[in-house]
Amino acid sequence: MTETKHLLNRLPNDIGGLPADPIQRTDHELEPWEKRCHALADVLDFHKILNTEEKRRGVEALGAEMVGKLSYYERWIAAFANILFQKGILTPSELARKMDEVAARWESDGTERSP
Amino acid sequence: MSQHGDHYDHPHAEISHSERPGYYDIMETAVRELLIEKRLFGADEIRRQIEVLDSRTPALGAKVVARAWVDHEFKARLLANGRAGCEELGITFYDDTQLIVLENTDTVHNLIVCTLCSCYPRSVLGLPPDWYKLKPYRARAVSEPRAVLAEFGTHIPDDVDVRVSDSTALVRYLVLPKRPDGTDDYREEQLAALVTRDAMIGVIPVSVGDSQ
Repeated sequence: MTETKHLLNRLPNDIGGLPADPIQRTDHELEPWEKRCHALADVLDFHKILNTEEKRRGVEALGAEMVGKLSYYERWIAAFANILFQKGILTPSELARKMDEVAARWESDGTERSP
Repeated sequence: MSQHGDHYDHPHAEISHSERPGYYDIMETAVRELLIEKRLFGADEIRRQIEVLDSRTPALGAKVVARAWVDHEFKARLLANGRAGCEELGITFYDDTQLIVLENTDTVHNLIVCTLCSCYPRSVLGLPPDWYKLKPYRARAVSEPRAVLAEFGTHIPDDVDVRVSDSTALVRYLVLPKRPDGTDDYREEQLAALVTRDAMIGVIPVSVGDSQ
């Protein structure tokens, strides 16, 4: 059992003090959707819908695999969706429908711009 | 758009420059539009917040540091209440956070981190660099700060304490670096131009050779 103890003692975000690789001084200019995602988080916070601590916990609740594989803002938007479901503000099916609509709208916009 | 005119010469040219949006890009748009439809906030609020984010850069923090270097009374107020000090210089705090300014001296070197995620003094520095949000910095800054600093080329003498401050959702930190030697005749704006983002995180000192 002791080989799983660390899973309880440390949730995925709690990495302070663990051994890790050398620091690579990476950075990137945010993609437009990443910046919108950040602004969305701030606006949700201003309206007391979702605060920083809920956001962090929401990312942690994605679990170690998603925390490891998704990029920073991918984790954020996935966490926001889950939190909004839990709060009863959105439902999974209405988000799925809306995502289809957004994708379809993009396809049709693309067609309009094509010759 | 001139593409229509060019179309004659390039019948197969793709007109659109934009790639098909990715899954998470679509998810962001869908979440935002649903919340706007439900009148939880307005589309203008997102646009305005993007402008706020774009307006926050390390130049603001640099202005605060330079003022603290030239005005001892301001520095005392800034160290007593970081947020109020920044607000004196017209820097508003758009999030509900406090700011603690940590002064580097001949005996103390400060470093800031957020081990749990990515809390950062965004109102005064803008958004953090990627490395600040990634595991190596978050994991190691608290346990082996001197080794981390060395990877940034910063070597702190053994008789200088290295203090690491771990940010939280409500309390953020900003390092007030040491004023470099040889800058006695610099004007405030010239001093500000020396102060980099990384110096205000505490991973490098401010030096006269640097500029933003």
